[in-house]
Amino acid sequence: MRKIINAPDAFVDEFVEGILLAHPDLVKTPGEDLRVLVRADAPTTGRVGIVTGGGSGHLPLFKGYVGKGLCSGVAIGNVFSSPSSEQIHEATKAVDGGAGVLYLYGNYGGDVFNFDLAADLAELDGIETRTVLGCDDVASQPKERASDRRGVAGIIFAYKAAGAAADRGDTLQRVAEIAEDVVQHTATMGIGLAPTILPTTGQPSFVLPEGEMEVGIGIHGEPGIRRGALETADEIAGHLVEALIADLGLASGARVAVLVNGLGATPLEELYVLYRKTHQLLEAKGITIAKNYIGEYATSLEMAGASISLLDLNDERLALLEAPAKSPFFQEG
Amino acid sequence: MQGNELKERIRESLTGLIESSDELRDLDQALGDGDLGITVSAGSNAVIAAIEQLPSDATPADIARASAKAFANANPSTMAALVAGALLAGSKVWADVTEVGVENAHAFAEAAAASIAQRGKTQVGDKTILDGLAAAVDALAGQTEADEALDAAILAASNAVENTKNLQSRRGRASWLQERSIGIADPGATAFLRFLESWKSSAPVVAE
Repeated sequence: MRKIINAPDAFVDEFVEGILLAHPDLVKTPGEDLRVLVRADAPTTGRVGIVTGGGSGHLPLFKGYVGKGLCSGVAIGNVFSSPSSEQIHEATKAVDGGAGVLYLYGNYGGDVFNFDLAADLAELDGIETRTVLGCDDVASQPKERASDRRGVAGIIFAYKAAGAAADRGDTLQRVAEIAEDVVQHTATMGIGLAPTILPTTGQPSFVLPEGEMEVGIGIHGEPGIRRGALETADEIAGHLVEALIADLGLASGARVAVLVNGLGATPLEELYVLYRKTHQLLEAKGITIAKNYIGEYATSLEMAGASISLLDLNDERLALLEAPAKSPFFQEG
Repeated sequence: MQGNELKERIRESLTGLIESSDELRDLDQALGDGDLGITVSAGSNAVIAAIEQLPSDATPADIARASAKAFANANPSTMAALVAGALLAGSKVWADVTEVGVENAHAFAEAAAASIAQRGKTQVGDKTILDGLAAAVDALAGQTEADEALDAAILAASNAVENTKNLQSRRGRASWLQERSIGIADPGATAFLRFLESWKSSAPVVAE
């Protein structure tokens, strides 16, 4: 294992410290715990707060999307582990501006348990919460069990839309509806080429024979729907785009936002090669790309691979994506 | 039982429960990831410390809430989150209770069981803590006398734990073992039984 780290157990606290030192104008810790970050201007009175969270190792997810027009706070777990309910509760109290708090995070068992418990604790404090789960990984469950799917890179669309709605003063009910609507119109699928090495154990997150790829991989290296010989970029884009179009039921005339996301060790050049074919395929089907995002938005440390996400757009979703936003890792307008 | 007596009984019974943590760790190693021992020992110690900090006029609901928070944070495992959610659900039915009787204990356990069933997406027979808890809830129904009620609950939970040996785990990591989980008692249900047994042995001795 060759990593730029100090003590493996200090890894998470130390990169959070780095973020705080680099971006004091955007984020802060409300208390002593480095595992709770909130917007520098939190709480915003009268505005809905949005708390996200999850394991570390996915930057810019989750902590990178705390800022204006995005999430208001985040609870940070160890690498690939849920934050505690207390940390989520601390984030909730720190962002509550009296209009309630939306919990918006990826659908993983440990996170769900801890966020649900934090919701109980918030209720005791008189803070109303709602929960919307990111569940965009089409390879993890069939369409009829869409709400059981894992949450992956596509959650950033929900952050963006819900964050814009909260900033313009929408009610908790409305912000939650918008987040849910975006989740339901988002689909993601990825491929894995090489695992990450977990800093605390030194073990790879999965094992893949030379020359093979895992189609439908999760952002912790979870197995996908098939394993096979590595294909060309155009073939990969073809498989992924076809699956996403089918899942969302997109037809000619549709408008989409496209996210081509690197999983940590895949260069931007390769992502643009993927985007090239994705763009051509969508165009050939008469689908308009109204927004595109290409780069690292949700990673798995230094896992090699990429995912493609599509958000089926209408005027409202597009307007929410185009609203201004600024966090340490994301800017719009 | 008023707040201060409740605190003392919790302290005594959790001190006793910690002695079962090695047994629970071993059971959980056979079926799950083996962290139940630390969840129970760290959680119990955290609860003992937390209720120590409560004011003397803390209500039973306050005590349950403080216990829930402490248990959840000590070792934030899935079991810890489930138990804490169950304690918070129980605390809600105690909102106006100042003195806990058998009926209140039954209502608390019933709310706790409903919370675990909902959050854990589980039902009786899945070989989880719910098997022990639900059996105790049924046994407490209609009881009026504290000692008899407790004995009935322990007997029912003990039978339920014994019965989990015949079952296949359907939830959590243990479910990955499929039929290999048969033959081993469920660690969560066993933990609940050990707690009830410890609660009984922590009862103050009444002078003849």
